[in-house]
Amino acid sequence: MLQLTKEEQEILAGKEGRLRQVALENIVRYAEVLGADKLCKVTKATVFCGSHNYLRTCKSEDFHEVFTKMNLARDERIVFDCVDKDCYAQSCVAASDQYDYEIFDQPKEDFDRNSLYLEEARKAGVIIAGSCSPYLMGWLPVKGEHFVTTESGMTILGNSLWGACCNADGIEAAFWSAICGRTPKWGYHLPENRYATHIVHVKAKLDSAMAWEILGKAMGERLPLTGCTPVLVGDFTGADFVKLKSFFTTLAVTTNCRMCHIVGITPEAPTLEAALMGHAPEGEFTLTEEDICGAYEGLCEKKEGSVQLVSLGCPHYDIHQIQEVAEYIAGKKVKEGVRFMVWTVYPLKAMADLNGYTRIIEEAGGTIQTSTCPVTIGDCFLKNYPGQVYDSLKQSDSVCSSGCAERVYYTDKYRCIDAAVSGEWKEEFRWKK
Amino acid sequence: MEKIVLQGRGVIPGIVEGKALVCPRSITGWGGIDPETGIIKEHGHVHQGMCIKDTILLMPGSKGSNGWSCYFGAARVAKTAPKGWAFSRIDSSAGVASAVMQIPTVVDFPKEQDPCQIVKTGDLVRIDGEKGTLEILAR
Repeated sequence: MLQLTKEEQEILAGKEGRLRQVALENIVRYAEVLGADKLCKVTKATVFCGSHNYLRTCKSEDFHEVFTKMNLARDERIVFDCVDKDCYAQSCVAASDQYDYEIFDQPKEDFDRNSLYLEEARKAGVIIAGSCSPYLMGWLPVKGEHFVTTESGMTILGNSLWGACCNADGIEAAFWSAICGRTPKWGYHLPENRYATHIVHVKAKLDSAMAWEILGKAMGERLPLTGCTPVLVGDFTGADFVKLKSFFTTLAVTTNCRMCHIVGITPEAPTLEAALMGHAPEGEFTLTEEDICGAYEGLCEKKEGSVQLVSLGCPHYDIHQIQEVAEYIAGKKVKEGVRFMVWTVYPLKAMADLNGYTRIIEEAGGTIQTSTCPVTIGDCFLKNYPGQVYDSLKQSDSVCSSGCAERVYYTDKYRCIDAAVSGEWKEEFRWKK
Repeated sequence: MEKIVLQGRGVIPGIVEGKALVCPRSITGWGGIDPETGIIKEHGHVHQGMCIKDTILLMPGSKGSNGWSCYFGAARVAKTAPKGWAFSRIDSSAGVASAVMQIPTVVDFPKEQDPCQIVKTGDLVRIDGEKGTLEILAR
C-alpha cells in the first residue's frame, strides 16, 4: 500500500495546481503498478523537450495540448508552466539544432516548432541544454541522490559510476518527476536492490573506447533480456571517463540493465563480494578478446563503397575529444561531397571556438554541431546519405534499423576521419583490436 | 479444452477479451512500433508487420531505451493501442507505459505461469486487471 506524506497528499488534492496534481497522480499510478510503498524526492532531472517526431501523432498545433496528451497522458489541456522548485531540470537532445536547420534538410516549420517547444519548456523552468551528456554542463547527481533522465546511458552511468539512484523511467515519467519532484521509491532507488546478479569475467585488454563499447555489445549477447545487474571482474587498468561513458551508452542499447558494477572502479564494487551484497549470482560467464572481436564483426558493413556522411560524438564529445579531432584533421581536407560533423554541447562549442578547434575543423571542411544528433533528427536528414560512418554503436545501430542508409560503417574516430578525407570506405578503416 | 488461468498481480483494473499477441523477446519501444498504425516495425522481430491494435499484448517486460513507453503512449493517442496487456515481470519502463496506457494490466506471474511461455499468439484470452488473472478461453 502506497504511503504518501502530508505534502504529497496536498499536491494530490490539487492545492498546488492542476499540473502538479496530475503529475503526482501519474507518479502514484506508476508507483502502484510497480508495487512501491513510498515515493522519494527527485532533485535532478533531464527531460525530453523539443518537437520530436513521435509527438506528431497528436494532431494539434497547440503546444500545451500536445504536452498534456503525450507527456501527461490526459485528454484535456493543462498548461506546462513549472517544474519542482527543488529539482534541477535540464533538456536532453532536441529535434533540431538550436540555430541550424538547412544543413539537416529540415523544413523551416519543423525547426520553428522545435524552437517553440523549447521556449515553452524554458519558460516552465527547464534549462535548455540539448544534450544526452548533461554531466558536461555540471548536471552531476552524487551518491545516493535520486534523479530521473530520459537518457538510457545516463541512467547506467549515474547508477554505476556515481552511486546515484535512477530507474529507466522513460520520457513521460521524467516530466512527471521534474514537475512534482517525486518518483516511486522502487528498484535502484532502494539500496538493497543494487546488488550484482551476473558476474562477467573480462579476459581482454580494454585499451580504447571502442574496445569498451564493443564489450557492451558482447555482454548484450550473453545477458538475459530483463532483470539483471552485471558486475565486471578483470584488469581495468587505463579505464577513464570517456571509455566508461562509451561502454555505458552501448550497454544501454544492447541490454535492459541500468546498472553495472566494475570491481575496483565503481563505488559500490570495491570487491566482488561487496557488489554481490550477500546474494548468490544468477549467472556467470567469461568474455575474451575473441568475443569482443567477434561482436564487432556484425556491426560494420563489410563491402567497400562511397561515403557521404561522417558523424562523431555520441555521446556528445568533451573538449579533449574535440581537441583530438582537431589535431588529427589539421592540414587535411574532407573529400568534396562528404558531410563531416562533430557533436557536442553549447558551452564546449564556445570553448572549441576559443581554442581554435572549430576553425581547424571548418577549414578541413567539417562543422561542430550541438543540441541534437543524426538519429534524433531522423529520416529527413539521414535519407540523403547512402554511405554513413559513425564512431558510435548507438548511432550506427539505429541508422541500420531505420533503413535510411545503404551502407553504415562503424569504427574509431581516427578511422572515421580517414574515411571522411578519402570519401571512400576501405577495408583498412575497420576497427582492429 | 482444459481451463487455464494464470494468476499474476492486477495493477490496472478492467476486464477485456481478445486475441493474444505474444512477444517473448518484447518489442523495442523506441521506434519498435509505428504508433499511427500500431504495426510492429522492429527489424527482425518475430511479429514484424503485425499490429498491436485491439490485441492482448503479452511481453516479459520492456526492452532497450528509456524511451520505451512513449511510442505506446503515442499509440494510445492514435487509438492503435492494445485492449489490455500483461508483463511476466514488471520493470520501471513497463510500469510507466502501464500508467500511461490505463488499459487492463496484469504483471508479476510466478515463473511456472509465465504467460510468454504458456499463451500462444492467436489464443483468445481474457485479462482481469482487478483479480490479476489471465485466462485462455480458446486456442
